[in-house]
Amino acid sequence: MNLTDMELKGRCQRFLEAQPHMRKLGLKVVSACPYQVVIELPVQDTLFSCEVNTYLHGGVLTTMVDHASSAATLCALEEYELCPTLDLRIDHMARPAQDMPLFVEAECYRITRSVLFTRATVYQLTTEQPIAYAISTFMRPDKGTTDPAFKALIEGTD
Amino acid sequence: MTVVLHDLVAKAHEEGEYQPLIDLIPYASIIGVECQRYGEEIVFRLPRNSDNIGNPTIPALHGGVIASFMELTAVFQLMLQLNTPALPKIVDFSVDYMRAGLDKDTFAICEVERQGRRVSNCSVIAWQDRKRQPIASARAHFLMS
Repeated sequence: MNLTDMELKGRCQRFLEAQPHMRKLGLKVVSACPYQVVIELPVQDTLFSCEVNTYLHGGVLTTMVDHASSAATLCALEEYELCPTLDLRIDHMARPAQDMPLFVEAECYRITRSVLFTRATVYQLTTEQPIAYAISTFMRPDKGTTDPAFKALIEGTD
Repeated sequence: MTVVLHDLVAKAHEEGEYQPLIDLIPYASIIGVECQRYGEEIVFRLPRNSDNIGNPTIPALHGGVIASFMELTAVFQLMLQLNTPALPKIVDFSVDYMRAGLDKDTFAICEVERQGRRVSNCSVIAWQDRKRQPIASARAHFLMS
């Protein structure tokens, strides 16, 4: 991997900004390094319900994990490839606290010619106390089929 | 909380108006989940919404939004068919994506494969043009108490 952590973080940030739904949720890139990224969901009152205080984020975790895993694939490939998610499995182990931000640490741990394998941990305090754990696979596109303008946008100039 | 939920579910069934129930879960109203009851079947709908786009080049729905929509479909299906309504707690969720979700309305339906006392097993499919060409299928377990 010839890219620096800053370059990878830049790619992840541009990738996040390019997606309307991610902007809407207010996700942030905390850090990036080869094969790995950390994404944050800041505390947001709009995601809580006063009536049913037992189920706060309902579904948001899945969206975060999907995005973070996808960003981890960016950190594993020198050249950007638009890899659609093939499948995703998430196990929920604890209920997140309302008043703390949520983090996802995602890692792309195996790269093959056609498929990328990722794993991700959702946590609030430390990864040792996971809220959820997820594994997913991404399909690599045929060479040269990623939209060139979008590739240039994500890769940026830094 | 249980009382509120119980009343809301009863009222929803009576009036055929499920939106107040759906809006209890903030993320469901953020992405715009709706539902319609046909006899005993409930079909969930995620109307086209530019805020739900993940891949701007196709453009296609965010994979996480599709998955969350399916997860919420299962939550509401369980809530609506229980005798004593409670908010099911998700244990695990697994989704397979089969086609890109395009920038148009998406539908989902949930089959409760087994409803136990403590845990329920659900499968969900999501489609756009026709049900026989699903964009994704999912299965999930929920704790009921």
